[in-house]
Amino acid sequence: MSIIQQHTASSLSDAWRTINIDALDPESSQNFDTDTLHPPLPEASEADVRALNGQVRQLLRGGDSEGALRGCLENPVYNGSEVAKDAHLQTVIEVLQSIKASEMTPMLQRIYDSVGGSELVDVLMKYLYKGMAGGSASSGGLRTPTRNLTPQATGFSQIGNRPGSTNESTGAGMSVLLSWHEKVVDVAGLGSIQRCMTDWRKV
Amino acid sequence: MASPEVHHLFHRPIADHSFSADRQTLAVAKDTSVELYGRAGSAFKLKDELKGHDKTVTGVDIAPESGRIVTCSQDRNALVWEPSPTGYKPTLVLLRIARAATFVRWSPSETKFAVGSGDRVIAICYFEEENDWWVSKHLKKPIRSTITTVNWHPNSVLLAAGSTDAHARVFSSFIKGVDARPEPSVWGERLPFNTVCGEYLNNSAGWVHSVAFSPSGNALAFAAHDSSITVVYPSGPEQPPQAVVSVSTQLLPFMSMVWNGEDEIIAAGYDCEAFRFNGSASGWQLTGTLEAKRRPGLGGADAREESALNMFKQMDLKGKVNDDTQLKTVHQNTITTLRAYQGSNGSVSKFSTSGVDGRVVVWST
Repeated sequence: MSIIQQHTASSLSDAWRTINIDALDPESSQNFDTDTLHPPLPEASEADVRALNGQVRQLLRGGDSEGALRGCLENPVYNGSEVAKDAHLQTVIEVLQSIKASEMTPMLQRIYDSVGGSELVDVLMKYLYKGMAGGSASSGGLRTPTRNLTPQATGFSQIGNRPGSTNESTGAGMSVLLSWHEKVVDVAGLGSIQRCMTDWRKV
Repeated sequence: MASPEVHHLFHRPIADHSFSADRQTLAVAKDTSVELYGRAGSAFKLKDELKGHDKTVTGVDIAPESGRIVTCSQDRNALVWEPSPTGYKPTLVLLRIARAATFVRWSPSETKFAVGSGDRVIAICYFEEENDWWVSKHLKKPIRSTITTVNWHPNSVLLAAGSTDAHARVFSSFIKGVDARPEPSVWGERLPFNTVCGEYLNNSAGWVHSVAFSPSGNALAFAAHDSSITVVYPSGPEQPPQAVVSVSTQLLPFMSMVWNGEDEIIAAGYDCEAFRFNGSASGWQLTGTLEAKRRPGLGGADAREESALNMFKQMDLKGKVNDDTQLKTVHQNTITTLRAYQGSNGSVSKFSTSGVDGRVVVWST
């Protein structure tokens, strides 16, 4: 009798349906370590990023903007602290802003056609999306105060958080990223967006 | 290039299709059933319907010699349909999987077939004479996620599988009593069941949609969701491959592909048309599309559409000059399956595609 009661009580309740059995299985795809999807990536410290930033700026001052762009795209920060990643994003955006609109497509085409160039253009795409994701992706720390000051709540802010930066509006920064995005798609096609979405190596 | 033969069967996605060896019968997976079409002149007419699954059918394959049809479905079952004078007789296969079956293919020897599943296993199924029953053995390790696709090596022992854990793997599916001992190859010499002969991943690690052995079986290609195609040339067991060539394309991802000889791959997917890749161990590249696009102004119908009268007519009727709701490609939606249709010795002279738009198209290469 009691056994029957227990049986009906447990089978009438549907609480067992809500148990996530995948979480309990160590072999399940939910417990899948996505780090196994790429080779171990070298860790970049803030000091490395700053050193690279210095070199890139030097190239920019020397007028070699293509070299500067290649420099930052060849050393993406995949494995590092948020601060280091953000600092590298700032470097990339700085370079992008310094390149004239008329130079974008020929420069991208040269980079894309060089050996291993499609990988560099894919890295650029990742930084464009990270830049456009703006504040939401890296809301911590440095950015929050400046974001509150910007007139439009676009969520994107890259001004004010590095010493000596000029005072552009957020809209201008975003339009640079958008025009680069258009040029990158022209050169590397929708495939580069596709790779930006699938790649496990996040910038 | 001859123009493609287009069969618009219905307005539903085709999960998979397969032609019989004589190319007179076409099986397509439509919802929960498999429809058999027979060739009648230049068209295909519905002939028979195989009903046995109660969820979406995900794979169908006709064995070229025996004419047996194997189907698999999200209801976790696979059925083998035996041709008989009174129609096809289904036999249930013991798959022992707890998730949907996603893909099925006969081995070239036709004594086995492989069923990929969402249960992180591949069921290798074979017929047990004494019990009169199709049974299965599971390839389990080291699969971490759903199997999306499988492809057989010409020796019927090695099996390539692509998975949503971004790996393309080569397994041995050697079953004692069913298979003859395979010749040693670049993939290995001793091949007990579930030997992992190769495990490959490309840089950006997208889901693998399609895997394919080259006609000789000595190279493996896989297409992933990062719009790339990767070709692996192994050098021998336990050794790093002699070449891994990855082509990152400017296109949308490829869902299915076949080799045409050892130096050409034809792939199709989300771009709704087929593309040709050429290359060898020293490098591969995209060499173009297999589709001659219709250009406005060419051909009868298009020319009429361009006439001034027609333009004003359209503006009057619809308030716009022309409809651009049609893609310029033959397929009007993603191509999900691409299979060899006609060919010999590993080269493909015709291939067939099917996709989400309910069309089956036969192309010449």
